[in-house]
Amino acid sequence: MTQIAIVGTGQTVHSRRRLDVSQAGLAREAVTEALLDAGLGMDDIDAVVVASGPAMFGSVNQPEKWLVDALGARYKPVVRVTSGGGTGLAGALQAMNQIKAGLARRVLVVAYDKLSEGALQASISTLYDPFWGREFAVGIMGFSAAYWRARMDKLGHTEEAAAMVSVKNRKNAMLNPKAHVKKEVTVEEVLASKPLCWPIKLLDVPPISDGACAVILAAEDDAAAITDRPAWIRGMAYYSEADNGPNRSMLQSVPLKVAAARVYQNAGVTNPRRQFDVAELQEPYTCFELSYYEGLGLCPEGGAAELIASGATEMSGDIPVNPSGGCMGANPIGATALIRLAEAAMQVTGKAGAHQIGGAELALVQAGGGWANLRGVAVVGATKD
Amino acid sequence: MTTTAGLPREVMGAMDARLSMPYTLTAGAATGVFLAELAQQRIVGTRCSACETIRVPAQDFCGDCGGDAHDLVIVPPSGDLLAWTVTDQGTVALVLLDGTDIPFLHQVVEGDPAALSMGARVTAVWAAEPQGAVMDLMGFALAPSEPVHAVEEAGETATPIEQLNYQMVLDYQHAYGHFYGSLFDGIKNDRRIRGVRCPSCRNVLVPPRAYCEACFVRTGDWVDVPDTGVLQACSVVHIEFIGQRVPPPYVYAEIVLDGTSTRLIHTVGGLSAEALRSGSVHPGSRVQAVWSDRRTGSLSDIDFFKVIDGPADE
Repeated sequence: MTQIAIVGTGQTVHSRRRLDVSQAGLAREAVTEALLDAGLGMDDIDAVVVASGPAMFGSVNQPEKWLVDALGARYKPVVRVTSGGGTGLAGALQAMNQIKAGLARRVLVVAYDKLSEGALQASISTLYDPFWGREFAVGIMGFSAAYWRARMDKLGHTEEAAAMVSVKNRKNAMLNPKAHVKKEVTVEEVLASKPLCWPIKLLDVPPISDGACAVILAAEDDAAAITDRPAWIRGMAYYSEADNGPNRSMLQSVPLKVAAARVYQNAGVTNPRRQFDVAELQEPYTCFELSYYEGLGLCPEGGAAELIASGATEMSGDIPVNPSGGCMGANPIGATALIRLAEAAMQVTGKAGAHQIGGAELALVQAGGGWANLRGVAVVGATKD
Repeated sequence: MTTTAGLPREVMGAMDARLSMPYTLTAGAATGVFLAELAQQRIVGTRCSACETIRVPAQDFCGDCGGDAHDLVIVPPSGDLLAWTVTDQGTVALVLLDGTDIPFLHQVVEGDPAALSMGARVTAVWAAEPQGAVMDLMGFALAPSEPVHAVEEAGETATPIEQLNYQMVLDYQHAYGHFYGSLFDGIKNDRRIRGVRCPSCRNVLVPPRAYCEACFVRTGDWVDVPDTGVLQACSVVHIEFIGQRVPPPYVYAEIVLDGTSTRLIHTVGGLSAEALRSGSVHPGSRVQAVWSDRRTGSLSDIDFFKVIDGPADE
């Protein structure tokens, strides 16, 4: 079966409110940059996957019909994929499947959200069952804070440890020209910041961003012809579990572990801490990055606080996590998972500029949506195997 | 817990729900000029620099060739009626304005719809007081003797309208179905919470459902569930947001009712400011429902859960 590589990436300048472009114009901007990066035009693209968050975010239903015009994609296959915070990675997986099936050789994935246009937490609350949960939901924040509190008791994910994630990622974002928020903070400032849903405080929370990301995936032979620096996708999976099924403690995400095991097997990863040179993890709140360290096997269960405190996940550490700044730098929800994949590809191809991890050859990507019940993992490498 | 029959005493048909969301939409540069120029009773389109296609309203991107370079043009307010349909909200119409290539979706606002014909000449009808929105152009009316006019270069144009306020209001009727109907009938009339037991894994599932998600077998007996339980997880809500039912601060709670294996999302109330600050409510705290005077057949029939004494479930 053909191997698949990322041959081009593009991102908008993310910001709180992009008044200069429509939703479609935002997506177009990222696509233009990705095509330029790959040295391709829309004529070279066989199919398009549009990935964006819940339609309620931007009030436009079925936005892909609008993007056909804005992307110059008419008479091409265009489908939309949506899966919460994991949307971008779910979109990339759909592109992988098209290429693996032989339906297309070069697929453009464009992911975006223009969150300045809607009411975010209220929109997210509509993801809940209208009979069971929606009435008292606090978007995703009430839920996320509640299970952080539980992990605090059982796994030692302290407020200080989460604050260190905020400090690290915001520091890294200073080096990323695409980041929306560029302001360094201290642990003390995070701990003293305004409680939103305690234990989540203002500086545990990413910005609300307008932004888009585009990634071009190509089959093996095409990739080699398009670029001498393809980023090979060594594995990708997206798994689920029942939202309100019995006995979910949610201290650890089961689908994350399942997805990681599958992808690590495909990529030949047996010691993730040692083998990965860099990781891009989608952390909608600081507490999730701690949780993912454990779920992805970068440290043992209950070891996340120690890992962040050791400095190992800083730019200078042995397993840098989110050199891009992660979601703390920018968080256009529908695009955020694809940004993680694009950043991983940039790292293993040496294109990450000021936030490049020297010599990075194998990168880990994680993203997820839903109430911790949809989780995806990918591995991207400088070589095919 | 006792096993009971699961038939509702009243037919729980559908729950009315309204979603009302405010938006600030961005038009993009070309459409922003189109909107702004309507106040001057001018219709602005775009002529693609690559393929010469003229579209109206003005668009940032050409849907024909994908080009993003264009000139703004003034399109005549007259054209041919291509198609229409009469709805209870008016006559929706496709009008091909003179000199353009793409039909403009709008409406016919004057005259008897029976008098409309394919290819009929129409002309713009303008609002008396422009609002800076698309309905400044109210629509089109029959104008049989209107000659064909030419597209002109736009020259100087108004400052684009960048952002539009929009309120989306959506009404839904969610069907209860047998399982939710039985549950909420019991909650409304008897202050009784009912779940179902999976015959395979023996877990009690609330809300009740036809299948167990873990085993994917049909659920078996109906089971009465107490209104006491344990906090599986909780957080202290300080933010305000649209549609919020309780003024902050309060405790968001994921509760596992005694004997069940699933989560109920609600709030913990009756707490002092000091109790909220100190985080004394924690995973493992025991709670009990405080029932409301309301009988709505929803989880709002419980005002909140209160903390009760008892061994913490670790």
